[in-house]
Amino acid sequence: MTQHDAGANDPASGSFRDASRDGHEASQRGPAARNSEPDEPARLLSDLGRLRMQARSIRHAYWLPLVLFGLVIAASSPFYLATLPSPFGGVIWTGTGTFAAFSGMLSGNATGLTIYWLVTIGAGLYVTWLWYRRHGRRVGLMTPARGFVIAGVVVGVLVIVLPTLQVLPGDLVVRGTLPFLIIAATLWVLAWAERSRALLFVAAVFTGTALLASLYNVENIMYRLGWSASVRFSTLPNILLPALVLLISGGCAFVVQRRGRAAA
Amino acid sequence: MTAAAHPTNGLDETVHQRHRLGILTIAAEAESADFGYLRQALDLTAGNLSRHLTVLEDAGLVQVSKGYEGRRPRTWVKITAEGRAALTAEIAALTELVRRHDGAR
Repeated sequence: MTQHDAGANDPASGSFRDASRDGHEASQRGPAARNSEPDEPARLLSDLGRLRMQARSIRHAYWLPLVLFGLVIAASSPFYLATLPSPFGGVIWTGTGTFAAFSGMLSGNATGLTIYWLVTIGAGLYVTWLWYRRHGRRVGLMTPARGFVIAGVVVGVLVIVLPTLQVLPGDLVVRGTLPFLIIAATLWVLAWAERSRALLFVAAVFTGTALLASLYNVENIMYRLGWSASVRFSTLPNILLPALVLLISGGCAFVVQRRGRAAA
Repeated sequence: MTAAAHPTNGLDETVHQRHRLGILTIAAEAESADFGYLRQALDLTAGNLSRHLTVLEDAGLVQVSKGYEGRRPRTWVKITAEGRAALTAEIAALTELVRRHDGAR
């Protein structure tokens, strides 16, 4: 039936090569006879499982969107610096942009922050889609990245629309960190597309930190840990914590995926 | 145990071939799989892989699309909904066989 090229370095080749002769003989007898060998179905399932894991490992390329969106979040920090000290020692936050979810009530530059998020999230989704097309062509396995982009756009529209309908709790909107949840939603979709438990875990952790950043002043935790920043920088922990989650996990994923491809 | 209940009855002649199962397994893992990747992963010659793909395509289990990237010809294989269902049924039948073998020991 088959005639094979050399492929000794391919982890799957040995089992498929060795089994091909058996398969040829068995194919003359039909599937029932072919599986009369007690270990044949188990070996076949094992080989298929190995092929599946190998393909999955080679296809994984999510380190880039993690690092990319980590950088996008970190780079938004200047927009969140407090600008107007109040006479009472706190901070007066100015401006609620047209898209309140993108700027909240915390930014001194609500319009700039709104534009920043619209542009960077849109560009980030597009770059990620291009990245997956390029990676797919390079390794020979395409990842269904379209769902990732669609999820980003759908959640983005919801994030714009829902605050105007006042159906979201005010606390979720007030800090202007709701864009993190757009990124979180896209990561869940990406984890599904990549079929990666590791990315699923990262998406869960990031969603937790994104919610924390939207609902709570992370500065309070930092203060208890001994870090006391000036009022001007008080919101930075809310921005940098989710960014760090993505950057660290993206860096780890880069190393793991590089090693995995080298091994394959 | 009746003959109808035996898991081998769930095996499909088209799908139940080692390399065709391999093709479907890899294709099910991705949006589409490149001909070159399949050839390398399954350790097949281009001619043999083409023949297996023809069988699967004729059965409506995969879609094969040919194109160019620059001057380089590329062939992409995409599993269909029928192919995915056939693969699932085959894996289930094999798993059941293994379970029965293990149970009989």
